[in-house]
Amino acid sequence: MKHAIRFGLTVCCVVASLSAQVTYEKLLDASSGSSDWLTYSGNYRGWRYSSLDRINRQNASKLTLEWVYQMPTTLMVETTPLVINGVMYVSEPPSNVVALDAKTGRQYWRYRRQLPDRINVCCGQVNRGVAALGDRVFVGTADAHLVSLDARTGAVLWDIQVADHANGYAITGAPLIVKDMVICGISGGEYGIRGFLDAYDAATGKRRWRFWTIPENSWAGNSWKTGGGPTWLTGSFDAQQNLLIWGTGNPSPDWNGDSRPGDNLYTDSAIALDVDTGQLKWYFQFVPHDVHDWDAVQVPVLVDAEWKGQPRKLIYWAHRGGFFYVLDRETGKFLFGTPFAKQTWAKGLDDSGHPIVLPNTEPSAQGTYIWPGVQGATNWYSPSYSPLTKLFYLSYWENRSVYRKGEQEYSPGNRYIGSVPLIDLPGDLGHGGVRALNPQTGERIWEYKLETKPWAGVLSTAGQLVFGGSDEGYFFALDAETGKELWRQNLGGIIRANPITYLADGKQLVSIAAGNGIFTFAVQR
Amino acid sequence: MFVRMTALLLFAGLSVAQGVRNPHTSAADVAAGAKTFHSHCSPCHGYAGEGGRGPNLAAGRFYHGSSDADLLKNISEGIPGTEMPGLFYNADRVWQLVAFIRSLSANAIKPTGDADAGAGLFRSQSCVGCHRVRGEGGSLGPDLSGIGAARSVDNLKQSILDPSAEVQPLYWTVKFEDASGRVVQGFLLNEDTYTVQLIDRSAALHSYEKAAVKNYTIDKHSAMPSYRDKMSSQQLDDLIAFLWLQRPQ
Repeated sequence: MKHAIRFGLTVCCVVASLSAQVTYEKLLDASSGSSDWLTYSGNYRGWRYSSLDRINRQNASKLTLEWVYQMPTTLMVETTPLVINGVMYVSEPPSNVVALDAKTGRQYWRYRRQLPDRINVCCGQVNRGVAALGDRVFVGTADAHLVSLDARTGAVLWDIQVADHANGYAITGAPLIVKDMVICGISGGEYGIRGFLDAYDAATGKRRWRFWTIPENSWAGNSWKTGGGPTWLTGSFDAQQNLLIWGTGNPSPDWNGDSRPGDNLYTDSAIALDVDTGQLKWYFQFVPHDVHDWDAVQVPVLVDAEWKGQPRKLIYWAHRGGFFYVLDRETGKFLFGTPFAKQTWAKGLDDSGHPIVLPNTEPSAQGTYIWPGVQGATNWYSPSYSPLTKLFYLSYWENRSVYRKGEQEYSPGNRYIGSVPLIDLPGDLGHGGVRALNPQTGERIWEYKLETKPWAGVLSTAGQLVFGGSDEGYFFALDAETGKELWRQNLGGIIRANPITYLADGKQLVSIAAGNGIFTFAVQR
Repeated sequence: MFVRMTALLLFAGLSVAQGVRNPHTSAADVAAGAKTFHSHCSPCHGYAGEGGRGPNLAAGRFYHGSSDADLLKNISEGIPGTEMPGLFYNADRVWQLVAFIRSLSANAIKPTGDADAGAGLFRSQSCVGCHRVRGEGGSLGPDLSGIGAARSVDNLKQSILDPSAEVQPLYWTVKFEDASGRVVQGFLLNEDTYTVQLIDRSAALHSYEKAAVKNYTIDKHSAMPSYRDKMSSQQLDDLIAFLWLQRPQ
């Protein structure tokens, strides 16, 4: 009898805490003070900012480990967890999902996906996170399916094929929920896919629309069919304008553009789509006819601010090619751009924001040395914007690569890249760190320099902190105004993920994936 | 779909059948293979196949099978458990690559010296004090037990005459002075933003917080002396012959 009572209480407790209950209205309000982490970037505007301030400049030095969750995998972990009503939802590579008690890290359930033997993912079978709506959790998989799970049990509610993985398609990014839709991007820019962005009915899995990032017959010959333009990172949503703002990836083959003359629209671009129809409203291409693999796959940061004395809807975007851009969010018009890291491929940007490309910077048979390197001056890991400091924070790389050019032929499901660049030069590995930029001028306000190049995103908070991580395994907290280090902890594994923060039982916690684990810290009361 | 599956099966059959000989060995094939090698393989295996992140391919000996069929399979499909990815080109093009890789060892210079005499020099010239071969010798310099498979004759000669021409970061010399003025000198084992780890010349391990270090310098020159004026050309050839024979067992 005693046991029966205990069991009954436990069931009640589980049912209460495992109810996700994410609504579109909550997602819209995520900017204004959520104690959870409801969507990939924390809010629709791509800020990766939290209004929580219980961890702040005064007490950050007292952060201690609250719990660790270790994943049973040796694959790279790039996930951003979600936290909803006391439950943390984590995607585990290659395509599993686990629900944890956000207070203790103890497991509620796991969804384990069986994958085909051969999976075509260029750069590791990673997964960057899940999305949630109502009592459902959504995950994209390495075999290019989109799966809806019951948030309470992990049971599969629907499972649809987004594309044929045998032809090089995969999903590595977190989906984005808008209204009653699941917005889902696709990977495969190294396999000659034709990129697209999809919207699915969250209840049924039925596709509402598809936007092809390469319009039919818009490139020479048949090159549009294998031209890449993936959409592998979660974008942002402008609710006022009903616009999805999303980045597109490199054209294929990556390092040989001979088969695809022209600008190769809409690769390496910011695209703005009507979220109800998938219709293109505007685009801005960062690198026409890219031959360096500089995807525009970064999180767009949407800010309403004054621009030259007038209120304006802006986008801040630090692009992989090394320039920081400010765009008009209503038209896509270029307003401003300046380098945020060393680059040697462009003399600058013209009045329309097009790069003025320098001669002899293309890949060559003997190899061309160019800054930034193949992995860019920044990459997919998240930037952050703080409405308190009005600064734009990002992890940056200062490095170069040797770009070689080779011949390339397309074969379905196989790599379609054109060459293999020398990414890290022996004895000249470069370095990186975290920089704070004034987004109105591009001026560097401060820099936190690392010996190595970080694959970790940054999080800013109302506690006037910026959290970041390093390849060396350090998780650190910086003063958001000065960049001064306030705390660091070695987690013993490479950090290739974005931090989040949330409240559990009134206590603020901050989490990040490192090595194969999720590490969560708090200041003890 | 049917056509594609047939093509795949045909290719798979070619890749595993032992005794298959490379049908593409003309000078034009070698030249075409060179182009692919330089654009796709050289970042790891070196521009001339001399090795780097990946093994030396110019020595004519391959760790995962040396037949034409082995090379075709390894290049096409990659080598599980290693960083070697599959190239996934059509078989004709991979055969051209095999032809080029074969040409590297066909043209490779072989040593002319007396390896037995070289073994004696390895000891008498004090190489053994810093370098280990098959478990015997010092540990300050690189272990040379497999050096013959990793380096060409020219490369070995350069390492002996001009040791600083190419030095791995592990053999950069680091020097520390802590707050008390104590100086420690050794080889850099690891470095991150805040700490550094090294091994000193007596093989003691040290780990420092950089903030506690007063002076910190890294010398990227080799600690090994040049043997340019210390050996006759015959002795040099003999020593190279000895080193060239050192292959993984």
